[in-house]
Amino acid sequence: MNNLLLMVALPLFVAFLLPVMHRVSPMLARVAGPLTLAVTGYLGIALWVDMQAPVAIQLGGFMPPMGITFYADQLSMLFALAVTVGTLMLWPDEPEQSVRQWSLALILAAAGCGLALSGDLFNIYVFYELVAVVSYGLIASRPTAAAMAATLRYLVISAFGAALILAGIALIYQATGTLNLAQLAILAPEHLHNPQGLTAFVLILIGVGVKAELFPVNTWVPEVYATAPERVSALLAGVVSKLALLVLVKLLVLVFQVTEAHLIMLVLGILGVVTGELAAWRATDYKRMLAYSSIGQLGTIFIAFSVPGEAGMFAGLAVALHHLLLKPALFMLARRWGGALTGLTGAGKSSPLAAGLFILLALSLIGVPPLPGFWAKLLVLVNLAGQGQALYYLGGLVILFGAALEANYLFRVASRFYQEQPADVVHQPHRPQDMLVASVLAGVLVMSIFFISPLTDRLHTIAAEATDVETYIQTVQPVQLAPISVAMEKP
Amino acid sequence: MRKATSAIFLLGLGILIAAIYQQLTFYGSGVNIGQAINGMAANQVGTANIVTSVVLAYRGLDTLVELSILFTAATAGGMLLGRRKPTAQPDTNGGFVLRAGADLFFPLLLVVGIYIIVHGHLTPGGGFQGGVILASAFFVPMLARPGHQLDQRWIALVEGLAGASFIFIGLLAMIGGQAFLSTLFGKGELGELFSAGSLPLLYTAVGLKVGAELAGLLAHLSDAEALD
Amino acid sequence: MEMGVILFMAAIGLMLIGIAGIVFPSHLIRIIFGIALLEAGANLLLLLSSFKEGAAAPIMLETGFPQNMADPVPQALVLTAIVIGVGILALALILALRVQAAYGTLDMRQVRQRMERDIAKQAGISMPSSIQAPRPITTHGADDE
Repeated sequence: MNNLLLMVALPLFVAFLLPVMHRVSPMLARVAGPLTLAVTGYLGIALWVDMQAPVAIQLGGFMPPMGITFYADQLSMLFALAVTVGTLMLWPDEPEQSVRQWSLALILAAAGCGLALSGDLFNIYVFYELVAVVSYGLIASRPTAAAMAATLRYLVISAFGAALILAGIALIYQATGTLNLAQLAILAPEHLHNPQGLTAFVLILIGVGVKAELFPVNTWVPEVYATAPERVSALLAGVVSKLALLVLVKLLVLVFQVTEAHLIMLVLGILGVVTGELAAWRATDYKRMLAYSSIGQLGTIFIAFSVPGEAGMFAGLAVALHHLLLKPALFMLARRWGGALTGLTGAGKSSPLAAGLFILLALSLIGVPPLPGFWAKLLVLVNLAGQGQALYYLGGLVILFGAALEANYLFRVASRFYQEQPADVVHQPHRPQDMLVASVLAGVLVMSIFFISPLTDRLHTIAAEATDVETYIQTVQPVQLAPISVAMEKP
Repeated sequence: MRKATSAIFLLGLGILIAAIYQQLTFYGSGVNIGQAINGMAANQVGTANIVTSVVLAYRGLDTLVELSILFTAATAGGMLLGRRKPTAQPDTNGGFVLRAGADLFFPLLLVVGIYIIVHGHLTPGGGFQGGVILASAFFVPMLARPGHQLDQRWIALVEGLAGASFIFIGLLAMIGGQAFLSTLFGKGELGELFSAGSLPLLYTAVGLKVGAELAGLLAHLSDAEALD
Repeated sequence: MEMGVILFMAAIGLMLIGIAGIVFPSHLIRIIFGIALLEAGANLLLLLSSFKEGAAAPIMLETGFPQNMADPVPQALVLTAIVIGVGILALALILALRVQAAYGTLDMRQVRQRMERDIAKQAGISMPSSIQAPRPITTHGADDE
């Protein structure tokens, strides 16, 4: 299990050497990136299959909480693999500056694995910053003026969020004196379930929420998704936002199991769904419609996770994984369809497969049985109804309202496909590699219909393990430190 | 409208922070990993500078990720800046004072930078601080003579190899069956130059990487065409 | 007043000035200065999280380790955070350079309008009426704040 670190170290190693390799042999550099990800992906799958119970790995051999701990359970391994496989499938292919792009993609995979597996608060922050800087580079890999401006605006919001996270970490360290998540879980009920701890949570929520497209720090989303290369948008919307969400959920479950935290997530989720879906309803171009829809979907996921306990985790995971598969597929179709929605008139005739895929994905997004989107949304609604509080009922209503809006704007697009194509509208055929990725993802969604029962069981196991704080503490076993003699109090 | 809401937000933030401060206690929980590390670092890691033991040993992965962030920033910067057009106006050389001063400063900065890097485990300093000084050592002559740019190929080579060697030293520990980034080569005598095992090597790699990276980034930036 | 209180208020003050420097100005370089101040304030806050008055540096002297040593962990954390901040600021300045080369202005409002116009033009749709048409480029530089 020690080899788990290779999932982080190996892509970084190859990324550092890629420019040097390119000078020696361009063919080697071209192959090295995907090959490395294939190796680490295989390693991850092998380790996951072997894993009986969650494992804690101490870096450098130093006992927690002095050293950094990596915690591998089903949920972390799932997301680490999702990042690796996702980066491999959505490998960047802009024609300019290829070697730098490949380095950045490798670093993204490494950073994503680290973010999913880390069990130390500051370590999570540095991995999060690494993901941020990589995304700045990848967005600007298509060097149009609009992309530069969008990246700059994204950078400003992201830097603001990063400073807030630091302030939150400072408050947590001040109250507890440790950064290890397991030890924080032990100390939290006494030291962090108070206004200071809640402030720290809110600061970290807003800071990490920049990537998770949380209201109100999601103003960067439409601009960036409209100007970035489609594969990068797919990675950001599909994978990176879920990683940010994973961080918040880990904190919520281990350290901040308080009602106020759940309610704040619920309220921000509701605001996200309302603003996102309304804006998507009014959008007039394909990419920004997808961007606003993404904001709405992530709002739904926040609402799902705001239900405490294993039920909330289970529903949230279902919706999150569904979105992880769905959004990249829709973005793959954006390569040729990424213009005005009016330009899609008659596309049903010129690219029937793509039109069919879009309708399939749209149905799953809205939540039509028997597609997996229906089951995921149903779980969330059942959870919300079972809570018995007014705010949760409001959350359920908002999700239904969102689904209605989704049906409207998605079918507006779909009905355009089968209208008469006007003379001035030209359709370019989709590239085979984009269609391949979109078809594979849609195929996975369809296959899951036939495996609903085993998938549900598996998700139950993952959710139960993820919410089991006791097991987490037992696995990591942070050393009990002797209390220091000099304790300074506020004057 | 935007300014009004922003002002209200700031006011609210200020009030909230002031309210929080009323309830703050220092060392509230009686547990503090810093104190524990202060007690154990000399025996476990063997550096005279305990901050170095935290940076390289206890939290070595943070340092690796920090290096990656710098590498990514330099790579993204390189992607964004592009190359200077051959028809661009060459910049003028600096005056006599600047040129003579740069020639004088170069060896001094080099020595100070290397000293700080190599003594990182004994006195305050280390790879990052020394690396920045090294970068300035290479950049000041470029200010004086803008025509003589640094060879970007050497910079990329040093940068890549230094970063890879950091990870390589970390991986070496894994071959021995230990966890990633464990300290190697024993502790040695506390306070000697050759002590604390593989830590000086790690800091040297860090220093070279940071120096090469920042020098390359600054060179690229100064090489970008002047805008009218 | 206690040293800790003064330092804490200084850190918070820096952060608030930095945030004000991001939301209020429209000139890009001032916004980047705001980011730098905000990060400085956050780093100071992190350092203060285990402040001990009159503590010695955690470095061995001739006579061995000093008695009352400060906490080394926030120092290491802030070291990392400062380097991260440097990387981000470098990227921000390079992006500002490219934006100025492309749009001819460093006024954030103008940049945003031009960016929206470019996105709309690329998609082939008309700009939403809520965004004004960008003003033509004038000879003098930044506008009033």
